[in-house]
Amino acid sequence: MSVTTITPPRAVTAAAGAVNLSKSYGSGDAVVTALDDVTVGLGEGEFTAIMGPSGSGKSTLLHLLAGLDQPTSGQVFLGDTDISTLDDKGLTLLRRDRIGFIFQSFNLLPTMTAAENIVLPLRIAGRTPDDHWVASIVETVGLTERLGHRPAQLSGGQQQRVAAARALASKPQIVFADEPTGALDSRSGAELLGFLRKAVDELGQTVVMVTHDATAASYADRVLFLADGHIVDSMRNPTADAVLDTMKTLGA
Amino acid sequence: MLTTTLRGMVAHKLRLALTTASIALGVAFLAGTLVMTDTMGAAFERLFDKVSSGTDAVVRTEASFTESEGVGTSRAPIDAKVLDQVKNVDGVRVAEGSVSGYALLTDNDGKAIIPAGGLPTLGNTMPEDESLRGDVEILSGKAPDADHEVVIDATSAEENDIEVGSTIKVLFRGPTEEFTVVGTAGFGGEKDLGGSTSAYFDIDTAQRVLGTPGVFDTIDVGAAEGVSQAELADNLSEVVPGGTEAVTGETVADENSEAVKDDLQMVSVLLTIFAGIALFVGGFIIWNTFSMIVTQRSREIALMRAIGATRRQIKRSLLLEAILIGAGASAVGVGLGIGVGKGLQSLMDAVGFNLPTTSLQVGPRTIIVSMLVGTLVTVAAAMVPARRATRVRPVEALRESASSIEKASRKRAVAGFGLLTLGTAGLLAGLFGGAGMAPFGLGLVLALVGVIVSLPLAVRPLAALIAAPMKLRGMPGELAKQNATRNPRRTAATAAALMIGLTLVVSMSVFASSLKDSFGEVIGDKTNADLYVTGASNQGPGFSPTVVDAVEDVEGVEAITPNGWGMARFAGLDASYSAVDPSTAGDLMRLELSEGSLDDLGEESVVVSKSAADTHQWELGDTVDVEFATSGAHELEVVGIYDTKGWVMDDYVIDIDAQTALAGPQLFTTALVKLVSGADQDEVQDAIAAALADHPDAKVMNQDEFEADASGFIDSLLTFVTVMLLLAVVIALLGIVNTLALSVFERTRELGLLRAVGMTRGQVRAMVRWESVVIALIGAVTGAGLGIGIGVGLAHMLEDEGITGIAIPGPQIALYVALAAVAGVLAAMGPARSAAKVDVLKAVVTD
Repeated sequence: MSVTTITPPRAVTAAAGAVNLSKSYGSGDAVVTALDDVTVGLGEGEFTAIMGPSGSGKSTLLHLLAGLDQPTSGQVFLGDTDISTLDDKGLTLLRRDRIGFIFQSFNLLPTMTAAENIVLPLRIAGRTPDDHWVASIVETVGLTERLGHRPAQLSGGQQQRVAAARALASKPQIVFADEPTGALDSRSGAELLGFLRKAVDELGQTVVMVTHDATAASYADRVLFLADGHIVDSMRNPTADAVLDTMKTLGA
Repeated sequence: MLTTTLRGMVAHKLRLALTTASIALGVAFLAGTLVMTDTMGAAFERLFDKVSSGTDAVVRTEASFTESEGVGTSRAPIDAKVLDQVKNVDGVRVAEGSVSGYALLTDNDGKAIIPAGGLPTLGNTMPEDESLRGDVEILSGKAPDADHEVVIDATSAEENDIEVGSTIKVLFRGPTEEFTVVGTAGFGGEKDLGGSTSAYFDIDTAQRVLGTPGVFDTIDVGAAEGVSQAELADNLSEVVPGGTEAVTGETVADENSEAVKDDLQMVSVLLTIFAGIALFVGGFIIWNTFSMIVTQRSREIALMRAIGATRRQIKRSLLLEAILIGAGASAVGVGLGIGVGKGLQSLMDAVGFNLPTTSLQVGPRTIIVSMLVGTLVTVAAAMVPARRATRVRPVEALRESASSIEKASRKRAVAGFGLLTLGTAGLLAGLFGGAGMAPFGLGLVLALVGVIVSLPLAVRPLAALIAAPMKLRGMPGELAKQNATRNPRRTAATAAALMIGLTLVVSMSVFASSLKDSFGEVIGDKTNADLYVTGASNQGPGFSPTVVDAVEDVEGVEAITPNGWGMARFAGLDASYSAVDPSTAGDLMRLELSEGSLDDLGEESVVVSKSAADTHQWELGDTVDVEFATSGAHELEVVGIYDTKGWVMDDYVIDIDAQTALAGPQLFTTALVKLVSGADQDEVQDAIAAALADHPDAKVMNQDEFEADASGFIDSLLTFVTVMLLLAVVIALLGIVNTLALSVFERTRELGLLRAVGMTRGQVRAMVRWESVVIALIGAVTGAGLGIGIGVGLAHMLEDEGITGIAIPGPQIALYVALAAVAGVLAAMGPARSAAKVDVLKAVVTD
């Protein structure tokens, strides 16, 4: 199995990327390397899925790319910004203004309505939401009727769609999704993935998603496979079966 | 289960520390007040024991009513001839007459030596027999044994550089005299009697300057070898004439300590009330903490239940935890309480209440009561949440759920509103229905409980109101408001602790400022005086009547009218009276009679207030049975009735010349001075001050100075009360810290999410801070509102006692509320820091 050589990070087509990125936890004999010298570029306007068995480092990679965690060594770029040099405040503002997030669960503040959750990052930044834009996103995710509801009154699928709407509301450079369908039934999951696909196709949004579900990965333009902290394979225009086959060779 | 309980406690160190701190503070306050009360009691008792320890029996006149004067009791004097009889009784080794009274020492420059805090300036006989002196010992020089010889306490001598052999003036009720200091006295190792000053004379001199020649206050007897106190008293009883009695030295000591306890009761009740408030507030915090612990732990509890723990086991585990924490924290509290006791002592000193001091007394009672109360309050506060915990169904808790928004129950609304209505009805009945103090007090308690019960319902609207300006602070402000209202019960319980403290502080300050206001009014409108003469110390007993003569002769003084004061038993009830000069009081004190005439006031007559006359259905010419401590029973004829209380606030007025006959020689408390028309007030005041140079026991003031002087006492009382209550507020703030810390802990994932989507650490800190301010202000605003209501009510209740104006100290109350907000910011510091430190990844990664 050959390690795929990736386009350099500074290339115009890369929305984000990593160069010689490593992350290890613990110290001395107990040191665990989650990511080992990974270099990768994520194409702009593309839907990229990151796959790999448990412990392969896929979530760590996502967290580092999204500025949620600090690398042990190497660099992370978002556009032209080397975010590995940013301090906590810089990273926070970066996440707020340039990145959208969808987590597996607990995406929403329980005290706020769906509508309030959607504009949360904008409000935190003290920016006035673009009502037109927000309305169109809300309509796309099919939440117009549920805007006044609190998370506790929404189904899991609806909650994730609110999260997706929030991720897009601030027109971020890139959206990171961490197992967004992990806690959903297949129908709700399909709806959400369909929505993400649409965001890429119709709005030109860059989306990076970690998943362990081959069907979910098949919605992406490109799949990166991780094992033991290395990128071991990649696939363009994947199908669920092809992804499954590759995963089998990785021992997942 | 025990191991599980213990492990659980250790695993949550922060929670344990906060809970312990809140209980310990409450208990410390209780223990501190007990220590303080015991210490004061011990000091007072020592004051008497030291003096009377050498006396085996005392012969004195019988008295059915004894007036407590703070130090000892007064009774009618005993004829000096009895002494000779006593000396011949079997078992008597020695017997000496004893006289005590008021003696104010002066320093080398003739300035009065005034003990702090209104402590007495004692004049006493120095017994010739050394064993009769008890613990009183001559430290230097010799005992007085001639006219114009005095022994003074060592502290007064040292602090004022008075050498043995020098001459000082001593002021009495009668004329001032000069004495040679022949020695200094100590008291069983101490240099003064609990802070008071003492002057000792030989018996003849004492009779002349302190009492009356030919009589003694008591005859102190020492027993012969092998004769017990009881035998001695029995022997004496057979011989002493009618109207006199012989009692053992022990009895006298016991009576004294009883009198001390009565005197201290006010202080002790006051302190106990404070301790109760502190514990009540502490109880709230404990209850709140345990509620939160149980909520947080519901998953853990559900897991225990799922694997087979019974309800009873869960409940027992929680109660065991409560007992362990309660007992441990109470022990810490008792330790802290000793410090609090010391602090209270310094506080009393600082605001001008000097009480006799001795080493801190930590009795077993303090330890037992504090431990028991602390533990029981903790257990009681933990009971409710513990019961709730056992009702948690295993499935319910194992399901993952973010803490949702709680709805206030209808039951609560009904109960709270019902109590509030009932309480308000009671208050109104007390205020306007003339129902009196009892329904007022009950109404007050009911209304307070009603407010506490219904507070959760008011949390949302109040938070909306308070947080309205915070919207300007953007997202953190809005989130803070939402967080403060998401669990109204918890917010209400946290704020209630602060509310109680603020309610009390504000009601006290409204009451005190009304009192001051009325006082100013009394002085301004209710007298025709231009100048005021008072005792040199405004807490002292007063000044010698000789002062009046000195002032009367000053040029520009048209009239001076003195005022005396005392306690007696009128128609079977203890009451205070004013003693006035009938010829001048009508004009200067504006004592206007609706019936009868002041001119008729004389030896065996009394003027009564309209309210007293109505109560007892007295009319002019009726007689009132009055009992005086010194002169026994009298029948005084009602010669006048006055309608309104003004300068004179007592129900009874007697002739000041008759006071000596009825109540023994007394000092004057104040004198009002009227100037001849056209006289320059400042000039006359200076002239009077010059005339008073020989009378350092008195001072002259104009109206403004007098008002300030008099309200100074109210101010220092208020300062004391406020400081005490602010301690309760401190405990309440600890409760806010507690609630915030636990909320932050509960909301780890939310905080992480907020940080992930771009909230900066500063914004997170601001959010927690604003939440704290909202909680603090809910407590402060409701507390201020209630306090104003209660203070106005109290002032209104006491309208008959002379509180005529109601003054609400707006700026002061605003300051308290602002301080509460600032305190909220301080309380949020720790929790805000830990909220800002939340690890983003931990919060967003699903485990």
